[in-house]
Amino acid sequence: MSVVETINVEVAYALPDRQLILEVNVDAGTTVAGAIVQSGIMMEFPELDLEHSDVGIFGKQSKMETVLADGDRVEIYRPLIADPKEVRRKRAAEGKAMKKGGGILADAG
Amino acid sequence: MLTVVLTLAIIAAVFGLVLGYSAIRFKVEGDPIVDQIDSILPQTQCGQCTYAGCRPYAEAIANGEADINQCPPGGETTIIALADLLGVEAKPLNAEHGVEKPSKTVVRIDENVCIGCTLCIQACPVDAILGAAKRMHTVIESECTGCDLCIPPCPVDCIHVIEVEATLNTWKWQAPEVEHAAPRPSR
Repeated sequence: MSVVETINVEVAYALPDRQLILEVNVDAGTTVAGAIVQSGIMMEFPELDLEHSDVGIFGKQSKMETVLADGDRVEIYRPLIADPKEVRRKRAAEGKAMKKGGGILADAG
Repeated sequence: MLTVVLTLAIIAAVFGLVLGYSAIRFKVEGDPIVDQIDSILPQTQCGQCTYAGCRPYAEAIANGEADINQCPPGGETTIIALADLLGVEAKPLNAEHGVEKPSKTVVRIDENVCIGCTLCIQACPVDAILGAAKRMHTVIESECTGCDLCIPPCPVDCIHVIEVEATLNTWKWQAPEVEHAAPRPSR
């Protein structure tokens, strides 16, 4: 009988008013999808639709089949509400700069 | 004569062995004073002390490079605790590094404006923002330390500071507001 190595990962999902990071100990070689299922985060957020959600690890989108490493944080993302182009256009119309640093730095410079 | 020499030699050998053994058995990894200082610091990793994070600041204090009054998030409480630990005189916060906030704050992202640029995620020292390129960014409030480092990089100014309602764990005595005291009623 071989001993299967395990790794510790986190699974996280966030709404504006409620955010959750679940720690879960999974077998080495577990995928993003596997960790999400094992974490039980679907039970906490019943409205979560994995089929139509994008996922990633620490701010970088990945596939459901990506194999996890120890310490990874699996993240389930939500789509944007605003249209980035629209926001940019609106800010330009209002005369606000869009470079890094937004209004505060732009005004100062 | 020989007995005396022998006895002393044996005693010396025994003490030597005990000391040698203890040095190995009770060896302390790292610098315990740095750990103690680090545990007092608020772990906001905000960099206001001019060091890259709380740990580097703790090391600098331990080495005598930094003063104990450079941590605005920790404020007076932290300075007093550090003064206690290090046996030095407490002093007021160095205003060059900022001012102590009256209450704990976190940030929140305006979801109607966020364009998913990831700049705030890169700025966050404690990975408290969940999101990816062109996906909604959300602040995980339990992780947010209120360092506000994510606010300047945001190109659409959609990150706002909100005060955290005091719980039993975060509540502290309010300092009396002397400057804003109501004027005495004139007679």
